[in-house]
Amino acid sequence: MVVRGQHIGNRTMSHIDPSAVSAVDSTPEEEFPEERQLLPSFGSIKLIWFVYGAFGLLLLITFGFVIFQPIKVLPRVRLAPGFILTNQDGESVNNEQFRGKLTLYNFTYTRCQPPGCRQFDLIMKEVQDRIGEVETYDLPVEFVTITFDPEQDTPKALKAYAEELGADTATWHFLTSDDPKQIRRVVGTGFQVYYKERTPGDFEFIPTMILVDGWGIVRGIYNDRIYVADADRILSHFNVVASEAAFSKGAGRAGYEAAHLFLCFAD
Amino acid sequence: MSKKVKWIVGILVVAVLLFIGAYFVGVLLRPYSYHGNVMQSTDPPGDFTLIDHNGNRMNLSDYEGKWVILYYGYTFCPDVCPTTMMQLGRMMPLLGKKTKDVQVFMISVDPERDTPERLKEYVTYFHPSFIGLTGTPEEVADAAAPFGIYYKKQEVEGASDYLMDHTASVTVLDPQGRVRLIWPYGATAEEMAEDLLHLMR
Repeated sequence: MVVRGQHIGNRTMSHIDPSAVSAVDSTPEEEFPEERQLLPSFGSIKLIWFVYGAFGLLLLITFGFVIFQPIKVLPRVRLAPGFILTNQDGESVNNEQFRGKLTLYNFTYTRCQPPGCRQFDLIMKEVQDRIGEVETYDLPVEFVTITFDPEQDTPKALKAYAEELGADTATWHFLTSDDPKQIRRVVGTGFQVYYKERTPGDFEFIPTMILVDGWGIVRGIYNDRIYVADADRILSHFNVVASEAAFSKGAGRAGYEAAHLFLCFAD
Repeated sequence: MSKKVKWIVGILVVAVLLFIGAYFVGVLLRPYSYHGNVMQSTDPPGDFTLIDHNGNRMNLSDYEGKWVILYYGYTFCPDVCPTTMMQLGRMMPLLGKKTKDVQVFMISVDPERDTPERLKEYVTYFHPSFIGLTGTPEEVADAAAPFGIYYKKQEVEGASDYLMDHTASVTVLDPQGRVRLIWPYGATAEEMAEDLLHLMR
């Protein structure tokens, strides 16, 4: 009875709002067996639709994220090896010196004769020459070439090779070791680059470039199997990794982690 | 109360409920943010063989099925190593029932001075389950390089002893031997336990 009284009270007061009057008046009172139906109409019924809507929206956002991939990342493939090697000036260089920088590695030997041999060194040269074109958010970029022919490729031989290529040795380091086992450990086991000395001074190898981030994690592998080595692609990858380092903070981090989770990998 | 007021109140209530609901849905779906660096390795970096602190030869692959934590240090280490080892020791009880699924190794980067006996005394001080590993300089180099670990002897001017300069991060391997997480130096026991428990779910 109290409920009904309230209902009537409502009606008597609703003369202030003509639309409310008409809304109530147009519905015969018999169709309101209980007041319950009037009040919770936006409660129990509409609330559930709001919840469905929210879930639907979330699903849509997730699908949208997966399909449109608004954030692109490069996978965190594996750890780059730890090493101490010797550069073209006879100075000791280790992997910790590249922490907090983006580093592009390649592997070669200077006695390599066929014309294709230098292809990857020339790509590296192009990347070094064009590095100014790409936004790296103040992350320094370094280049490293490691020889797998340490007996022939002494620091002196590497220095001559660097000059021949026209490499800027301020950021491009040519590394060797007096211990061939160390080279095997770093290049073969560590970077997992295949090479084999067929006859003395003649190596068979899979030309490979490897992009390592500031954490010492391999982010890009460029060879005939994974990414084709191409200066444009490598330059854009520098930007992808640098952007993640710059923006993967706070709420941005959730977006970047989602991109890793949904495999939104850059081309 | 007029109908209009009821509608306004109703809409406000729904809005608040929606906000609370969205907040909880958001919290539930938000990806966990690790304190360490997550890796997506598809295969293990490789096996190694060393000597444990009881003088027995071991292979890393013997510990497949456990969550393995690798820390590279040395017993003469003045500050960095004891700090990290202490945090790892404090982390163990925080793992609760999962403690038995975790094996922490400290691999000596100073095999010249770190004998198995010395290592045993050192690592078990931090936690009784910890295992110290050493080997020939060659074996240690083979065990360190694939995990991104650099180390070098540092002669100190005027001192008879030397220090080791070494990478101070901590590596987590899953039961299949894949690298899953790297903690930088300075990660606390609580942070490491939280990450591990999340990984082990």
